[in-house]
Amino acid sequence: MDFKEILKKEYIVLDGAMGTMLQASGLKMGETPEALNIQNPQLLVDIHKKYIEAGSDIVYANTFGANRFKLQKCGYKVEEIIPAAITNARKACEGTKTLVALDIGPIGQLLEPTGTLTFEEAYDVFKQQVIAGKNADLIVFETMTDLYELKAAVLAARENTDLPIICTMTFEENMRTFTGVSVSSMALTLEGLGIDAIGVNCSLGPKELYPVVEEMCKWTNLPVVVKPNAGLPDPVTNEYNCSPEEFAQYAEKLLPLGVKILGGCCGTDPDYIRALCSMLENKTHIKVDKTIHCAVCSPTATVVIDRPRIIGERINPTGKKRFKEALASNDIGYILGQAIEQVHAGAELLDVNVGMPGIDEKAMMIKVLKQIQGVVNVPLQIDTTMPEVLEAALRVYNGKPIVNSVNGEEKSLSTVLPLVKNYGACVVGLTLDENGIPKKAEERFAIAQRILDRALKIGIKKENVFIDCLTLTASAEQEGVLETLKAVEMVKTKLGLRTVLGVSNISFGLPNRELVNSTFLTMALTKGLDLPIINPNVASMTGAVRAYKLLSNIDVNSVEFISNYNGVQNTAATSGSNSAVDLPYALENGLKDEAASLTAKLLEEHEPMYVVNEMLIPSLDKAGAEFEAGKIFLPQLIQTAGVAQVCFEEIKKKILSTGEKTVSKGKIILATVKGDIHDIGKNIVKVLLENYGYEVIDLGRDVDCQLIVDETIRNDVHLVGLSALMTTTLVSMENTIKLLRQNNVDCKIMVGGAVVTDDYAMQIGADYYAKDAKESVDIAKRVLG
Amino acid sequence: MSITLTEINKSEAIRFMGYGKSKPDEVTLRNINECEKALLEAIKPEYVYRVFNISHAENSVKILGTSLELTGKDICKHLKGCDKAALLAVTVSGGADRLIRYYSACDMAKSVIADCLASAAVEQVCNEVDKIIKLNSGYKYQTWRFSPGYGDLPVEVQKDFLEVLNAGKRIGLSALENCMMVPTKSVTAVIGLSNNEISKGMRGCVCCNMRDRCAYRIRGEHCGF
Repeated sequence: MDFKEILKKEYIVLDGAMGTMLQASGLKMGETPEALNIQNPQLLVDIHKKYIEAGSDIVYANTFGANRFKLQKCGYKVEEIIPAAITNARKACEGTKTLVALDIGPIGQLLEPTGTLTFEEAYDVFKQQVIAGKNADLIVFETMTDLYELKAAVLAARENTDLPIICTMTFEENMRTFTGVSVSSMALTLEGLGIDAIGVNCSLGPKELYPVVEEMCKWTNLPVVVKPNAGLPDPVTNEYNCSPEEFAQYAEKLLPLGVKILGGCCGTDPDYIRALCSMLENKTHIKVDKTIHCAVCSPTATVVIDRPRIIGERINPTGKKRFKEALASNDIGYILGQAIEQVHAGAELLDVNVGMPGIDEKAMMIKVLKQIQGVVNVPLQIDTTMPEVLEAALRVYNGKPIVNSVNGEEKSLSTVLPLVKNYGACVVGLTLDENGIPKKAEERFAIAQRILDRALKIGIKKENVFIDCLTLTASAEQEGVLETLKAVEMVKTKLGLRTVLGVSNISFGLPNRELVNSTFLTMALTKGLDLPIINPNVASMTGAVRAYKLLSNIDVNSVEFISNYNGVQNTAATSGSNSAVDLPYALENGLKDEAASLTAKLLEEHEPMYVVNEMLIPSLDKAGAEFEAGKIFLPQLIQTAGVAQVCFEEIKKKILSTGEKTVSKGKIILATVKGDIHDIGKNIVKVLLENYGYEVIDLGRDVDCQLIVDETIRNDVHLVGLSALMTTTLVSMENTIKLLRQNNVDCKIMVGGAVVTDDYAMQIGADYYAKDAKESVDIAKRVLG
Repeated sequence: MSITLTEINKSEAIRFMGYGKSKPDEVTLRNINECEKALLEAIKPEYVYRVFNISHAENSVKILGTSLELTGKDICKHLKGCDKAALLAVTVSGGADRLIRYYSACDMAKSVIADCLASAAVEQVCNEVDKIIKLNSGYKYQTWRFSPGYGDLPVEVQKDFLEVLNAGKRIGLSALENCMMVPTKSVTAVIGLSNNEISKGMRGCVCCNMRDRCAYRIRGEHCGF
């Protein structure tokens, strides 16, 4: 018997709780249950046997927490515990057709960006477990709450074993996991990764899980698994409130949704499994006909492509000096700003392109994707021409992305499409091939057809293929504009595929580009364009999409339109009205837009350095002095600094356009030390230092000591700022300083953070203690001038 | 019983921002209101508690039925006269971390404000859990909340503490190797339960490890603990 064969049964019954049974036999809370596989194997064999006798088709080996972190406490290795656990389960299964699952729960350490464990480390932890458990019949990942962790687990399983994979996540009553993952995001992402069954376990009883299971069944064609708790636990007695009979009754109500595999989680025992089995006796599996939406997702947001959706185009260095400079100097903050600005303006997806000669595109893509996903929740479109960058991006992307792009060339088809299939993404097909871009719509259609055929052949679903019929510049090929639109219409109606167009290219070389762009966009939308790639920050472009949706009765009752534009007049009036505002006033009062335009005006008449030294810094000094005197407080000080940042952006733009030398007063490295994730203090210091013209190299949080040393040397930095929040992480601060000194790095070190004191700073060998952000500026002035 | 916050204790948050007796300026006040709204949408308060029998030893308190032992004279003093203890863990969820991170990338002032609001929110949730325990424990008296890291109760107990409550599974709360909790806006604490009146015990700066370096104390203020 194997998993494929067992799926032929009408219903499959899993086992019930392991922890509950172990606690009933004397295990204390806080002890490592997996150690019992070796210390008391007979106990495990007996528990498995009870479930098999009750009717389980699959039993989970006692390996839920058998990972390198959780086993530390008991002293056994993963390679000892997991094979022992599987042997125990096998022994219990002797003479039956019951299968043994390697059971793997969450690592117990939160992943980036909220925690510190990296995706790659998580993969490695799971890899060790699945290899140790390769003798099981299948692998179950359960009780997962983080889709990113689960993706690492699935990749580790399918790349290191051939075993079937079941994934179940734990959802709360609000239909989300603790980390905010939605049911649709889980289904879209994991089905794309090619697992064998999907579902939910733990958290609630079978009654409360109904809406979650209903939603799950809408989003997947895979066999659906439900392994609920025996209701909810009492905090005083820790007893669950749902009897075996009630459990089976509520489970029965889940069957019409299409559920195929059932079992029990916390609080259940063999009686629950027996009740399930007798409820399922002689029942036929109910197959539900359904169409799954075409959609892409991040862990928390699913975007169904059932109407025009705006893809923001701004994360792309092509033709943007400031963006190129950000890539060259590793200024991820700037790129994140671009992401947030576009989402704020109305982008529903973001294209991400970080390709530029002279940088490591792969490393940059990984970093940028992770960080963007840390601050915005819209799904992303991975835009690269390098297959190795694409694969790396597809691995670390959390959710179901779009790949931009494949084209009709054989080389492209044979390298890109397998990656798209392997990672379950959507893909944009460009209608060009070895012979370039065909002039006629019919020829572009033929390429689209070819791309679709090839995609279908390797198993990519039709709804995951989008076609870009390619916008040509109107000023160069005026007659081509209508051909593009004709091709869009043909692809949409004859192939039934979603269409994509990069819009802005149409107006290249023409005056009043905005007018041409928005008109072309509207024309394309009427021909069936689904995914316009535009600059959403241009109000007329985003507006054209919203107005189109209203006028074509997609935005029913104009809800979206009204919520976006109601009151627009009013905001415009207030922001433009105050002509008496000068730069100091704008800085003091948090007026960013005014400060930007005032700075731009000043730069027409003055040198950048003059604006910095004569206009910005005096205002900042004043704010700093008032902060020290207790006249203003931290939020206001940072508010002023935030406005100054906007001014600096204007200055940077000006410098880049004229090629003048920078205003940098010196480089400073900032880092929150290893093990510490509380980085707000460090971020405040960064904003203030940047305001004074220092170039801050922000290494982030939980930064390895060695990395700080390496980056200090590599960038020839002479001032390093370290921050720590807790007494338990102070030791990392001390270690970092030691390592810097051991390597004879020519730098001064300033330290700060809630638990750091002046005495302690000196004791661990720092040069300066900064009691707040303002003081870090004073120190920088002293060290760097 | 689930806990939902409909507003955040802003005066408490403003105190965390360092205002003391002063009032924030108009721009900051506007930002505080905006951040409060965003935070209330972003967070999802969760809690778990369990009541355990305890046994008192010379320099520790054992949590019976678990492998957990709370050490130090301060926890002994805290639980003196109590025959049971409620262990609790509270979080406002990673939604708070996410919002603070988002603001860090686009508006640092709001990041600081959201950070302080989230700290105030955790305290509010703790106060609610306090009431729930009072309602359900069947005991007449209960102590205030004593957390790992207070006094001489080592913060290193954090991981085992969370494990005993199954906090990872129940509320999505875990601790890093160095005992820092993730999501960060979270609290663990011990409340003693008794049917006899409990002496109020030491509270405030006297038993606080931060007393020598506390920013509030330096300014002549108090954190409210």
